[in-house]
Amino acid sequence: MEALVQRFPGARLGVNAVTALVVWGLLTWVNQVIEPLMSYYLATAAMYATAMFGMTILLGLSGQVSLGNGALMAVGGYIFALTSMNWQTVPILGTPWNAVWSMVFAGFGGVVFGAAIGGIAARLRGPYLAGLTLGIAVGVPAIANRFPELLGGENGLMLQVPYPAGGYTSGDTSDEAVDDGGEVPLDEEPVYEELPDDFGDFDEEFTDEFGDELDSDPGDLSDEDLLTEDDLLSEDDFLSDDDFLTDEDFTTEDGFEAGIDEEIPEEDLLSEDDFLSEDDFLTDEDFTTEDGFEAGIDSDAGADLDAGLDGGSEASEGADITDPAADLDLAGVDAGLDAGFAIEQWQASMAIAVACVVGFIALNLVRGRQGRVWQAVRDDPIAAAVSGISPAGSKISAFVVSSLFAALAGAVFAQILTYVGPGAFTLGLSLSLLVGIVLGGRNSFIGAIIGAVILVWLPEFVLDVSADRGWQDQITNNAPNFIYGLLVVLVVLAAPGGIVGGIQSLAGRLRGQAKSSSSP
Amino acid sequence: MIDFIDYLLGGISSGAIIALMALALVLVWRSTRVVNFAQLGQAMFTTYIALTVRELTGSWFLGLIIAMAAGLVVGVIVHFLVIRPVKRLDTSGAIIATFGVLIALEALAAMVWGGDPEAFPPPINNSGYEAFGRIWPFSPYDLLVLASVVFLVLALSVVFTRTNVGLAMRASAFNPEVARLSGVRVNRMLVRGWAIAGLVGAVAGVLVAPLSTLSPTSFDIFLVFAFVAAVIGGLDSLVGAVAFGIGTGLVIALVSGYSDSSNAPLVALVLLVLNLLFKPEGVFSHHKARAV
Repeated sequence: MEALVQRFPGARLGVNAVTALVVWGLLTWVNQVIEPLMSYYLATAAMYATAMFGMTILLGLSGQVSLGNGALMAVGGYIFALTSMNWQTVPILGTPWNAVWSMVFAGFGGVVFGAAIGGIAARLRGPYLAGLTLGIAVGVPAIANRFPELLGGENGLMLQVPYPAGGYTSGDTSDEAVDDGGEVPLDEEPVYEELPDDFGDFDEEFTDEFGDELDSDPGDLSDEDLLTEDDLLSEDDFLSDDDFLTDEDFTTEDGFEAGIDEEIPEEDLLSEDDFLSEDDFLTDEDFTTEDGFEAGIDSDAGADLDAGLDGGSEASEGADITDPAADLDLAGVDAGLDAGFAIEQWQASMAIAVACVVGFIALNLVRGRQGRVWQAVRDDPIAAAVSGISPAGSKISAFVVSSLFAALAGAVFAQILTYVGPGAFTLGLSLSLLVGIVLGGRNSFIGAIIGAVILVWLPEFVLDVSADRGWQDQITNNAPNFIYGLLVVLVVLAAPGGIVGGIQSLAGRLRGQAKSSSSP
Repeated sequence: MIDFIDYLLGGISSGAIIALMALALVLVWRSTRVVNFAQLGQAMFTTYIALTVRELTGSWFLGLIIAMAAGLVVGVIVHFLVIRPVKRLDTSGAIIATFGVLIALEALAAMVWGGDPEAFPPPINNSGYEAFGRIWPFSPYDLLVLASVVFLVLALSVVFTRTNVGLAMRASAFNPEVARLSGVRVNRMLVRGWAIAGLVGAVAGVLVAPLSTLSPTSFDIFLVFAFVAAVIGGLDSLVGAVAFGIGTGLVIALVSGYSDSSNAPLVALVLLVLNLLFKPEGVFSHHKARAV
């Protein structure tokens, strides 16, 4: 391979492209066959890997300990959220806005911030740099509190994910969205997601409590009882964004209840007369296609669809929803059945695509001249300077590249959470990135990927163990971090190369033994 | 103007505590050339111990004493288990290892005491003195904090300038090779540096806890403030750490007073950047911070 690459300089690009494409194809296939929950983990791991490719370059190749990459993820996430929420068209270009443009601008913001931080960081060594980036990790998310109107303050910003059919404004936000028909305006999109779920709950509760009424003969209805045009839903009858529960409503059980109570005034609750018979309800089939949905509305959607929804929420109020993720999963699965894929799968496909593009860029940089420049400056700045390399320029470029990757990862993170806020980009996030890259192996991209998988897998593993052993919540929730901390110290002491470095040195030792034993 | 005086008065005690924290960072730096990013994680842990002792016995003072002892022990343990083995490897390894200790300590505290913020009430009255017909934002507790910090700093300076142990510690920090040739047991001095730093950090933790609440991550922000103070002071200089610790506390009090306390970390960051750009070796030291 090396010989090939040396003979044909362009071959390197081809090899890297093939590598990235193969990984992309493989992960996309995996994403199709696994459960939505696994897709969610896949999306998170891909997001971590994207950010940690930058850590590989910054920490591994360039030798700079940075804790600021969580803050740079915040930069990317906020830019993604703000541009996708506020811009209808691309400034100057005038083309319709979509999520890809938001990613581009997030990356651009990352480059600008990375250059600024790198410019300062290039003058510093070891502990000074770590302390400065620590301050950035703590200080930058606090900027959100400084501009509460623009950045949402402590509460952050909720954003719409371009799923399954709508876009932020134009609808053609991504390939997946286009495939599913991009014309549906944003306002109606959540109805697609939520309706089947709420209806299901409603239907069940309803049958339990009012079985008699439900069984009564629809023949009793007179002409007046039939739905007229006026009874059909107008735009206004649809739930607007504000009517939906936001993540904030789910934070605690109390918060959830409070949210519900506010939303539903007494008058809106269903009286017995308002109930439709079983046939009047939309079934899941009515929602499978866009046309089906329209048809369903036209034929017999029922006057009090919105009231029905409210009732549905009311009915589900009693349900024990403590884990917002679990509820999200449910909604995702139901909507996914209708749309052909779950929201987690969409998120994962997006995260995988970004990770593979970033990985391709990273491979080209590292395997080419720039990678050697970074290593030269890391190992001996003075020798590098004598060879005509600018050490400061090299350090700044490492910062810029890692910031670009971090910002893109932040944009992906924003779409996975459908939220940006100071609570999402804490010092803990920056520390997680450091933990992941150190555990996986700071000198290789495989190490970054392994680190990303560990970050996602370990908390779930601890949850499983804790379920078996019956640990208290406060132990279960904090045990992963405790283990991370101990592992980081152990790895630094015993295997500075992380898991990948450990395996490499082990393999090297075995090979050495084999050689020495075979030679007489 | 009266606002300005109020804010300054309110900032004195937190400035004094930040000075202690910066002092702890400097003590460790002088002994092993490592910035101990776990220093305030250790302080957080010993403050929880103080809280537990206090709840069991009802004595704030006993809590303080036991926290100081615990801080000493934790400092020595971290030094022996983590820093001494790592130091032989590389500097970035040592930095990463201290962050590993920080993560582990914060998680351990959350496992033992829970992650929710806990109140750590002041041992004496914390409402301001009344004089000249108004209440000043300076309380008996602030006075206690100030007295404790002054006492500790004076005691440390006596140890460092008037005793043989202090002389040996300064020699090991100044030039380990020459100190070793002169018969100083340098390694023992390094351990003492870590132990004293742990003790100082523990005092700072117990003193600062009543000013807000105690949670596993509530000292993170003080780590930034203390680092800023220590670096501006020169990272090598005990006097610099104390002076700029108090200075940082006052600046933060002014910023919080005139705008909002959420701006404090940003202002600390700006101070740090300005310092690193224009006088990276710090004000009280001729130590070299720039590598290139």
